[in-house]
Amino acid sequence: MVNEERVILMTRMASYEAGEGKKNIKIGDYFRADYLSKQLLKSLIFSTISFVIGLVLYVLYNFDFLLENIYKIDLLALGKKMLTGYIVLVVVYGLITYIVYAFRYRHARKNLKTYYGNLKKLSSMYSEGR
Amino acid sequence: MTTLLELKEYIKRFYGKYEVYVTPALKTIMALVMLMMINGSLGFMSRLNNFALVLIVALMCSFLPTGFMIVFGALYILGHMYALAMEAAIVVGCVFLILLLLYFSFSPKDALVVVLLPICFVLKIPYIIPIAVGLLLTPASIASVACGTVVYFIVHVVKESSTSIGSMEAAEIMARIRLVIDNLLNNKEMVVTVVAFSVTVIVVYIIRRLAIVKAWTIAAVAGGIVNAVVLLVGDLAADIDISIIGVILGTIVSVLLAKVVEFFAFNLDYSRTEKVQFEDDEYYYYVKAVPKITVSTPARTVKRINTRHSSGRGNSSRQRVEEYYPEEENYDYFGENEVEDYTDSDPR
Repeated sequence: MVNEERVILMTRMASYEAGEGKKNIKIGDYFRADYLSKQLLKSLIFSTISFVIGLVLYVLYNFDFLLENIYKIDLLALGKKMLTGYIVLVVVYGLITYIVYAFRYRHARKNLKTYYGNLKKLSSMYSEGR
Repeated sequence: MTTLLELKEYIKRFYGKYEVYVTPALKTIMALVMLMMINGSLGFMSRLNNFALVLIVALMCSFLPTGFMIVFGALYILGHMYALAMEAAIVVGCVFLILLLLYFSFSPKDALVVVLLPICFVLKIPYIIPIAVGLLLTPASIASVACGTVVYFIVHVVKESSTSIGSMEAAEIMARIRLVIDNLLNNKEMVVTVVAFSVTVIVVYIIRRLAIVKAWTIAAVAGGIVNAVVLLVGDLAADIDISIIGVILGTIVSVLLAKVVEFFAFNLDYSRTEKVQFEDDEYYYYVKAVPKITVSTPARTVKRINTRHSSGRGNSSRQRVEEYYPEEENYDYFGENEVEDYTDSDPR
């Protein structure tokens, strides 16, 4: 015989797993530090790519000037300036990423608690049925 | 009000029943509007202007995830840019890449915001988007609001300067690139708008989450005012000519639209028919779960003997309960009944 109560609970959980839960369960697999460092690494890569793109645009913009004056420019100062810009970009991007994803992690954990509670309920239903 | 609630109930029922058809149809219409607007404002590549192609792409959007709408939109814009000048395509492509990274790192799920924002800009009511985002999503979606805004202004700027770009000699590659970048960077209106929208999203989000009566309405109105003020202050500070009347009218219309959004989104789950599969030791289950259309039946009635007149804690706690159980259908829209429902029917 199909146990209706069980099916209802399982259906609810399955639809949660297919929808919002999918994301949350994935997040729940990580420890907090692991999850955040993964996101920070991603943000580092993203900000580096953004910086490179910005740099390319900068060089294209000043192409003629750079070509003419390449020997006159204080390259060290220019490099320092760019490095500072890069570090600022990475730090700001990383900070925002940290805040956003720390919040998301907490939210997902809270959400998963109910889900795991339901899992327990389900397994106790099964052991009762036997 | 009652007729409106009935209408809402009807829409909800309709959506629950025909969700399989309604969502793809809406996606197609949106993609169609988006592509036609891109063609209308840029339209440099005649092959992309072909309506059959637009229709095919729009139909493809109906079954692909919403993110593809952005991809197709970006490809269309780049195609037109390329037809105008390769340099424009390069510069805009670079900017799009940066935006894409920003979008993917923070809010990869709200493609709709990015698509709707430029459309609303053309309709002169862009202010609804930051308000709606603050009401429905989180501050992380500022990324997508910024993306949508920048995309609109890029298209706008290139359209404005298309004649001067087109009139330059093809050999002057560097000069062309400089012209495009100059036009993009000197667009202070874009910066002011992005700042204003970001502030609006945060303000609306914070107020919406407060435990006060009518938090949503207050949030929407406050968001509208903040948005208008920041825009006008930016207008003065950066010396750009944003039309004051346009801002005020657009804000008023946007706040009214936000009220409509609130009406349809507040305390309502557009639950739809779900098909799920799972198994246990004995069976395979193929379950089709159809949402029940329930008329609110309060499980427990709480009668207040001492009625509270002020907007004290009683009301706010009720609002909180409503937020925790969004599935419950008995929100007291008229503010007359003192009926509260504390059923423990957690959706999950």
